[in-house]
Amino acid sequence: MDPLSLLMVLVLSAVSTLLYIFVGILPGTDETATMAPIALTLLLAGLDPLLVLVWFIASIAAFKMADSIPVALAGIPGGVMAVPQVPDAIVAKEQGLADTILRKGIAASIVGQVVALAVTLSISYYLMPAGDWLRTADVVLGVKVARWFWLVLAGLVVLALTSRSRYVALISIPSFALLIQGLRGVYGRTIFVSFFLGITIGPMLFELLSMLHKDLRQAYARRGMKEVRLVRIGKISLNPLKILSKDELIHCSAWSAVTSILATVMSPVGLTILIGDLLRESSKDKTRGAVLAYTVRDAIKNATYIGGTLIPLLVIGEPTGPMAAGPAAPFFQKLDSIGMSPRDYIVSRYDYPTVVLMLFIATAVSFFIAYPVLVKYSRKLTLAVFRRVPAEALYGLFIAIVIMLSYYDAKLAGVFGTLVVSMVSGALWKLGVSLGVLFMTLVAAPTLVGLLTALPL
Amino acid sequence: MKEEVCYELYGEHISLKELGISVLVSTSFAMLFFSAAPAVSGVLGVQPAGISITLGALGATIGFAISVLISKVKRVVVEV
Repeated sequence: MDPLSLLMVLVLSAVSTLLYIFVGILPGTDETATMAPIALTLLLAGLDPLLVLVWFIASIAAFKMADSIPVALAGIPGGVMAVPQVPDAIVAKEQGLADTILRKGIAASIVGQVVALAVTLSISYYLMPAGDWLRTADVVLGVKVARWFWLVLAGLVVLALTSRSRYVALISIPSFALLIQGLRGVYGRTIFVSFFLGITIGPMLFELLSMLHKDLRQAYARRGMKEVRLVRIGKISLNPLKILSKDELIHCSAWSAVTSILATVMSPVGLTILIGDLLRESSKDKTRGAVLAYTVRDAIKNATYIGGTLIPLLVIGEPTGPMAAGPAAPFFQKLDSIGMSPRDYIVSRYDYPTVVLMLFIATAVSFFIAYPVLVKYSRKLTLAVFRRVPAEALYGLFIAIVIMLSYYDAKLAGVFGTLVVSMVSGALWKLGVSLGVLFMTLVAAPTLVGLLTALPL
Repeated sequence: MKEEVCYELYGEHISLKELGISVLVSTSFAMLFFSAAPAVSGVLGVQPAGISITLGALGATIGFAISVLISKVKRVVVEV
């Protein structure tokens, strides 16, 4: 690695960390909506894909550390992945343990990310030869089907079955695939960005459109200011090893290793809920169970984001799980500027040790900045963000980026394509279908529709 | 003076009027900067496609900064 590349890695990791500390603290910021468009923008702007991956890994570290801070201090999740931590935080807060869970959560994030990086990068190295086998296509019903498709389909069905509304999720798979392929047929080419962004902002758009409806509007109406209760915290040690108990460290390490692999095809938020609930219910002491669950969930958040990104990226070459098909999706789409996907560029242009080194540097830089900043200034930062950044400005920024990228993708038709996919995605989400099901259907749509139309029925 | 009705979105109280203005401001700046890419690329001697997204994102960020100034924060923090 030359000195300029190293400098770029350090600078991008630091900038990404600082940006995502704020994004993480802001309430209600969806991971896919905030991470994917920026990664996509950097890729389309011509930045080296490996440097964008460095940015992405640093953003995971910072975002997942920061998004649990408003949970611990105010019971408000900073991101979708922090939602499962809310019940644990409420129990801990009732016992006056807000500062305890705050520091345990931040320390657990570091453990989760480091363990997941070590596990997934080691496993990926040995599994890389399997990538060629997975990318080989077989002919089924006269349709060319890559072997990785069956992995996606299995993950898709599992994800649909674990959705809040499993039957709607299952029937939405072929229907949504037909919508995607139908629109692609109208455009006359394989559009991805518009549809991807459409799913991303679907829930927000659905809520906004509901507010424009005279009868539905009343359910959303609120008077006055939103009251946010922020608890005071005591002095926090800067040594992360003093923060976690031996039991917590073992649980964080073990579950991070397991869930980082499972996230190849499974939902990160689903795994965070499943393992956290399992640990909480297995403890006889309600408070101890809540603190352990909160802590381990923080480690799992980082681990599933790392595993869900890196194993599909380095081994399979296709987005086989909701993480790879969601926040990390920009790395799997072909870019005209480089003539291949960023994933293929990284794998073909860089040797494995360089990739490993860069990802560990990104993580180290992110933690060296985020950990002391968050531990020392978490309360001040949360107060500043809550008091100075209006939600309207933030939502306005994300909607503007989505409109611009949709226009870039397919001009005005791209903007309306995003709108229609958003409305359908938002409605399905409201009916209890996980967005991961829709992201993975987007990936599987060409083969799914090919097989569907080839069936002799 | 009549109090404006807010709506709850992702746990936040928002004003539809202010959200509309923020979307309009950020989108206008994003598209303006995006459209300026061919002219800027001519001056810099680079391909327009390479900088259009960068410029658009820059425009959206400027729009965000303006929106922070024109929208009101609708949270009241109670320290307990």
